Amino acid sequence: MKRKIVIIGSVSLAALAAVLIAAAMLGAERLPLFDLNEQQRSILFDIRMPRILLGACVGASLAVAGAGLQSLLRNPLAEPYLLGVSNGAALGTMLAFVFFGAFEFSRPILAFAGAGLATFAVYRMAQSRSGMNVERLVLSGVIVTTFLSSVIVMMTTLLDAAKLRSFTFWLLGDLSQSTMNGVYISLVAMLIGTAILMSQARALNLMMVGERDAFDFGVEVGRVRLLVFAASSLVVGAAVAASGSVGYVGLIVPHLVRLSIGSDNRLVVPLSAVVGAIFVVFADTIARTVIAPRELPVGAITALIGAPLFIYLLRKN
Amino acid sequence: MGAALLGVLLTLTACMADKTDVSFNAAARTTTPMRVVTDDLGRTVKIPAKVNRVISLAPNLTESIFAVGAGDRLVGVTTFCNYPDEAKAIAKIGDTMTPNMESIVALKPDIVFVSTASQIQTFMTTLEANGIAVYVLSADSLQAVYKDLHQLGIIFDTTAETERLVDGLAEREQSIEKAVGSPIVNDELPAVHDKRVGVVKVFVQISKEPLFTIGKGAFLNDLIKSAGGRSVTENVGSAFPKLSKETALALQPEAIILSDSEDNREPNEVFRNSPAVKNGHVYRINADLLSRPGPRLVDALEAIARDLHPEKFPH
Repeated sequence: MKRKIVIIGSVSLAALAAVLIAAAMLGAERLPLFDLNEQQRSILFDIRMPRILLGACVGASLAVAGAGLQSLLRNPLAEPYLLGVSNGAALGTMLAFVFFGAFEFSRPILAFAGAGLATFAVYRMAQSRSGMNVERLVLSGVIVTTFLSSVIVMMTTLLDAAKLRSFTFWLLGDLSQSTMNGVYISLVAMLIGTAILMSQARALNLMMVGERDAFDFGVEVGRVRLLVFAASSLVVGAAVAASGSVGYVGLIVPHLVRLSIGSDNRLVVPLSAVVGAIFVVFADTIARTVIAPRELPVGAITALIGAPLFIYLLRKN
Repeated sequence: MGAALLGVLLTLTACMADKTDVSFNAAARTTTPMRVVTDDLGRTVKIPAKVNRVISLAPNLTESIFAVGAGDRLVGVTTFCNYPDEAKAIAKIGDTMTPNMESIVALKPDIVFVSTASQIQTFMTTLEANGIAVYVLSADSLQAVYKDLHQLGIIFDTTAETERLVDGLAEREQSIEKAVGSPIVNDELPAVHDKRVGVVKVFVQISKEPLFTIGKGAFLNDLIKSAGGRSVTENVGSAFPKLSKETALALQPEAIILSDSEDNREPNEVFRNSPAVKNGHVYRINADLLSRPGPRLVDALEAIARDLHPEKFPH
């Protein structure tokens, strides 16, 4: 077991490193390997690197949130997008765009607030006198998601044409607006969120068997729920503020990971972070290069890869 | 039960539509003589000899109709139509992409003017089914704008006024081109360190974040050439591409034109070290001027030429 962990850990980290290096070497502009001039250094360090690093943070964030929520809710479909977390963050970011456009930090702050409020709404709606049940929670998530989608559609309709174009692009997931500030915010949020989820991994393992059993083992179910929701809101808020709605990462990555190493969350959470980072950086490299010097939204690529892959996994099981 | 009811309702509305259709056509046939004109798509369109009520589904068409002296015959325009000021007082029928069919039909227009920017096919059939003539205008250059203005002059029977208007516009165009110098004959893009006098490498920024510009097929390419410049993105696919920032940085434009809107007031960060930003050659031009192939396209030409070659316009 120990040996298997070491092997899987080193293989996945090596794969991440390989993808990061390949991504740094590919782009709309061809760069030499050595002796870069000032302009080429600027392209590499000011534009390409921040974008790759942000892609990695966003991928890791969405994947750990998906892993945490799927275990908590014992539902394979649980995903930041399905539970309203993404759309809450998206709406928050849009409000920041419209009302506090000049203030850079308003985006992650309102995105986190939106994600948190959406999660809180879902959480409260799911609670009944007999306590919380998972079906109710997923149903509430779907309702909050579709409601927020409508609000977003209404807002894009009411905004003027020039802004509309940037929003429709952004809603599909777009990493072109990466700055090092954005990377720092996402990285910190991702590390904190992942640490919280890791600290609850054992409790989540017990809860996957059944909440009653977990309770008997001394797990404070309510507290675990709150922490997992808070951590998911944090990472998803930061990810959405940075890159819009990049779909399928939170759904597909934890499934892939569980299929290869089983469902122990102490391994699933960190490995999901690594695989999520690989997935988004890979997809964004395609988005950046395939029709260069034009670009595609990264969300379109993750969906193009993710949907068939998900169907394949579904049929295989 | 529900389906049956729906079926009845559908037949009813269909009958009603048929009836109004017939009476409308009949009235048109008996009371007004008709004539036939050809639009920019080569379609023959049957219109009344005297055109009194028209609707414009695009802001550039609204401007053109006012310019040929027929603004008082516009009974409906889009929410985008903000010029001239009189256009703002005309009934709104929705925007260019999603006009409201019911409002259009209720206004009983003789002709609906459509630009190719609209989703023409979807509502052309609906309008024609209601006996409303659809006339398509698709100008994408100054010459085509002049041609469209002439056609409008014929439709509205204001040919003398239109003649004067087009002559005036063409005269202004020529004097601008003369001031700037002969247009570029060589069809190659100037190289990064091209020292040819007069050819300014221009980047047109449509949106700052994400970075959108103009590419192949955009009518601004020719306008910039006439103004003594060259768009550095004129060979990039599609008319309004989202451009890689890496490429944008490498382009090193000598001038940047910002299509002026709230979120596009300064050049993208990637142009920080470009000659354009270092030398302060960054210009804002009204987004409506840059995006509407109508009579004000000459204003756009003049604005670009004056920005790129201020020394050649002493006044």
